[in-house]
Amino acid sequence: MTPRVAGLADSRPSRKRIFLTRPRVLVGGILIAIWLCGALLADILAPYPPLEPHYSHRLAPPDAQFLLGTDELGRDLFSRILYGSRISLTVGVVAEGIAASIGLCVGMLAGWFGGWIDDLLMRVAEVFFAIPALMFLIVWVTILESTPLLIFVGLGLISWAGLSRVMRAQVLALKSMEFVIAARSIGVSQWGIMYRHILPNAIGPVLVLIPLGIGGAILSESILSFLGLGITIPYPSWGSLVDTSRNYFTTAWWYAVFPGAAISLAVLGFSLLSEGLINP
Amino acid sequence: MSRYLGRRLLQFIPTAFGILTVLFILTYLMPSDPLRAVLGEQYRRLPPEVVEGIREELGLNQPFLSQYLGYVGRLLRFDLGRSYILEQKVIDIIGYRLPHTFQLMLGGLLVGGVIGIGSGIAASLRPGRWLDHLLTGLALVGASIPVFWLALVLQLVLTQDKYGAALFPVAGYESGSIRHLALPSLVLGLNLASGLSRVSRAAMIEARSRDYNLTARMKGLRSRAIIQRHQLRNALIPILTVLSLDMGYLLGGSVVTETIFNWPGLGRALIPAIDRRDTPVIMGILIFGAVLFMLINLVVDVLYGIIDPRIRLEK
Repeated sequence: MTPRVAGLADSRPSRKRIFLTRPRVLVGGILIAIWLCGALLADILAPYPPLEPHYSHRLAPPDAQFLLGTDELGRDLFSRILYGSRISLTVGVVAEGIAASIGLCVGMLAGWFGGWIDDLLMRVAEVFFAIPALMFLIVWVTILESTPLLIFVGLGLISWAGLSRVMRAQVLALKSMEFVIAARSIGVSQWGIMYRHILPNAIGPVLVLIPLGIGGAILSESILSFLGLGITIPYPSWGSLVDTSRNYFTTAWWYAVFPGAAISLAVLGFSLLSEGLINP
Repeated sequence: MSRYLGRRLLQFIPTAFGILTVLFILTYLMPSDPLRAVLGEQYRRLPPEVVEGIREELGLNQPFLSQYLGYVGRLLRFDLGRSYILEQKVIDIIGYRLPHTFQLMLGGLLVGGVIGIGSGIAASLRPGRWLDHLLTGLALVGASIPVFWLALVLQLVLTQDKYGAALFPVAGYESGSIRHLALPSLVLGLNLASGLSRVSRAAMIEARSRDYNLTARMKGLRSRAIIQRHQLRNALIPILTVLSLDMGYLLGGSVVTETIFNWPGLGRALIPAIDRRDTPVIMGILIFGAVLFMLINLVVDVLYGIIDPRIRLEK
């Protein structure tokens, strides 16, 4: 058992109650669950293979046969959006995972060691904070190729700074708490204290920000895709669907509207979850 | 105050250098031969000796460090080099395009500021009531919508009669034309507004909980005066902070918005420069953007002192 900060543990509602008493968490959770199911079960749920063309139904409006209409080759838009969710969700989770790992480590080291380490790390964080994210990402993928891995890393690199500041503030507050001093006095090593005592107590405020970050990463990837710099293999991501739709935009409104709506709904789900967890 | 300002200025320099270095390394690592961009079609036709000669002339055969130092040296004299492709100095390209981007950012800022701060204050007046729920809900939805999609949907319903009304031109720039500026500003501003609205609401509610409200009420001030003179003024600090960080978003968002609306700003120059690997232009625009962003943050720091005497008098 790790000691908890006094007063926090008692006022914390149980996990079940969080879902029931906070509508934002509930709605966010449902939205995320829907997209997760869509991504995982795309093979079963999609009425057509995402790359199968129906040449006699090019740019067909939504009807019973094609729920959300078709694209310029007669491919079913609903199926393409379902498969696209795999890319967007993966990008969000992996990129934010990278960002959170960097942010947690940097914040921990800066907060715990203080001094020049703190100064240096926070200055580096400031640099990453000062670079406009989208501009950095555009340059990043054009210079280093738009492979999925590099997009994950680029997104992670540009979004850890905020998390590291939150983490650092937490560590600073915990550093002088009695249980930390107690652990020190019985001879627990520095790394042991950081890992076993500081980390579990400090991580909460960082964790609730992670869904928000996932949503942000999905948004950023969609913008890259829209500019033609995102992931297109093996199926187009949502952003690149909107990008192609621009060519048919006066004749086929559904082509632009539905993939964009998919992005918005997924991002909304993640932000609702974070919002609900942060503000009761 | 002057000491505070001095310290902030000193911090400015290493951060700017950091950004410069990161960007330079990135562009240096670009896999394709920059001479391919310089020479275009001739790259393959010219004899290798000539190509190497040009390479030497441009200093591209030198080791990384001397290229880097050379760039920094020229930068200190405000020389950003020449475009490989366009017959123009980078500084001239930026000078020509910057006003357009500024117009767009200002338009976005105006839309975002008015709608964002306004709705935030409106929501904060009765927290937990239906208006609050409606506005915070809208703000969340607004923050989840991708800029480019918002642009397309607005183009769909506001620029043609087929699905809506042709109120605005689809795209393009016309000097002094508000109708051309309106739609891009709206797109850029609405996303900004959602973030601002949340912050303003939280800041206003926080300001409400302070003791000075009680004093003001005891003094006999009316609610309106308390809100305007006491709460709003105190809430301005966090609002300004977010606003200054949003400048980065405005810069980035203007790249997308300019591309969609064919607006002749910096972003519209950046994307083709990247396509053609025109390194000096890429570097120039990015460094300019980053420094601009940092300068805005610096100005905001100074503004803090003007708005809040407590910060000015500290130390």
